[in-house]
Amino acid sequence: MTQGNRFVDRRNYMKLAGAASIAGLAGCLEGDDENGEEADGENTIVAGTAPGFPPFEMVEDGELVGFDIDLLEAVVDETEYELAEWEQLEFDSLIPALDNGNIDVIAAAMTISEERQEQIAFSDPYYSSDQSILVQTGGDFQPESLDDFEGQTVGAQSGTTGETVVRDDLIEAGIIDEGDYTSFDNYVLAVEDLESGLIDAVVLDEPVAETFEAERDVEVAFVYETGEEYGFGIRQEDEDLQAALSDGVAAVEESSEYEEITSTWFGE
Amino acid sequence: MDLPALLTTSLWAIAGETSPLVVETVWSLLGEDWQFVFRNADYLLGGVVITIVLTVVSILLGFALGFPAGAIETYGDGYLRSAVRNVGILLRGTPILVIMIYMYFVMPIEYLLGPINAAFGGLDVLLGPTPFAAPDGIGTAFFAATLALGLRSAAYQSQIFRGALSSIDDGQMEAARSIGMSRFEAIRHVVVPQALRRSVPGFQNEFTIVLKDTSIAFAIGLGELLKRSDDLFVQQTTAVLEVFLFASLLYFILTFGTNRTLDYVEQYFAIPGESS
Repeated sequence: MTQGNRFVDRRNYMKLAGAASIAGLAGCLEGDDENGEEADGENTIVAGTAPGFPPFEMVEDGELVGFDIDLLEAVVDETEYELAEWEQLEFDSLIPALDNGNIDVIAAAMTISEERQEQIAFSDPYYSSDQSILVQTGGDFQPESLDDFEGQTVGAQSGTTGETVVRDDLIEAGIIDEGDYTSFDNYVLAVEDLESGLIDAVVLDEPVAETFEAERDVEVAFVYETGEEYGFGIRQEDEDLQAALSDGVAAVEESSEYEEITSTWFGE
Repeated sequence: MDLPALLTTSLWAIAGETSPLVVETVWSLLGEDWQFVFRNADYLLGGVVITIVLTVVSILLGFALGFPAGAIETYGDGYLRSAVRNVGILLRGTPILVIMIYMYFVMPIEYLLGPINAAFGGLDVLLGPTPFAAPDGIGTAFFAATLALGLRSAAYQSQIFRGALSSIDDGQMEAARSIGMSRFEAIRHVVVPQALRRSVPGFQNEFTIVLKDTSIAFAIGLGELLKRSDDLFVQQTTAVLEVFLFASLLYFILTFGTNRTLDYVEQYFAIPGESS
């Protein structure tokens, strides 16, 4: 083929390709929900969460949904801040991302603990919970207290209070061996292993355990009282944001919104 | 996701026109897990769009830095050359996952991102009357992933171009100098055009590697194809095989398409009379 016979000559081809790629790039990014609104204002904040923790946060048909998502949006509406976008990370990565300024607030059913308070600050608590012990429905292992766990295998999500219970009250207490504990990136995977019999029990937050009980072939054996409370995580120096979120939590709890959101996600 | 949503709706429209009965039969034959995958196909295709944009931007950044770096390593001397060489060695010697986590969690990239997003805002104002629009702000994860993939790719691309530049016969340089070109002109007009053509096969390899390595942005929560596949299988854990087969198919289509396109580019720009 000679140069003259080409349908589109080289120069025009380059022009076309350039125009098409710019249009494509612009089009793609424009419709991209990840890039939300421009994060320029002082009062725009980016929230971070870790999906896979129903009903607090999960991805359903491509949408990030859940109690924490609705609640934080309602709380931020009460303040002079504006929520720019949601970043989805592993639970373990949330505190480093907050420290580095990639996100400004954590809304991930995060328990307010002394250990975490050394690194970050929390808003006033917005939910309280205990830990549930989840086992197979009608399975051989039906514990009534942590003392029944000897020789059993247990799973939890890394970085959660469930894992702390396993480490402090089961492994440190000498009830199970280090090797009998499996740490998962995500509770959905832990429950999957429980259903297929690879582990005997999963330790996790009570409302989440109830969601799994309703949707899967597992049941709550007993509730281990920890009296923990969830708060939104903030950098320690962001005192204004901390005060605003705490006021927002109070305002939402006083209005009917808190009950609406609770009944949406817990059916209470 | 405008583009993928459009794609799937038009696919459904075509399928719907053939015959509703056929569609229904195929649908029921698929089984619940495949139905789940196809119901969420537009979500995965949205991930494909992010994967493509991330690949293209990273490759361009890699080229913008890698080509001059290759030229400096070939023709430069002194501190500049050794600096470029050492940075390259450092980047090539670090796993991409480490670079990516470093960019997202350690580098204070928001100081870079602020001005860039402001520039996009300005660009948007300039583009106002045209049908084009600038992206309205870049996410932190996307920016960190672009920097990581782009810098790593620059380090590899510099070696591709260094190889191509040194493969051009010394006689070419001598001939160019003998007709009165300066050293820079000789490189610019005689060596580089030939070297770029010879670098296509190596570049093709690098393009595919960057395309596949976008999946590592999963680690910093960027919603590209792999992250979205993971979201789906966490939602319906029985569909692991189906979700990942579908995602693999999408990756295959992307790499195959890229390779065929670059094969064509190579033939088109081949140096006349030289077998490639």
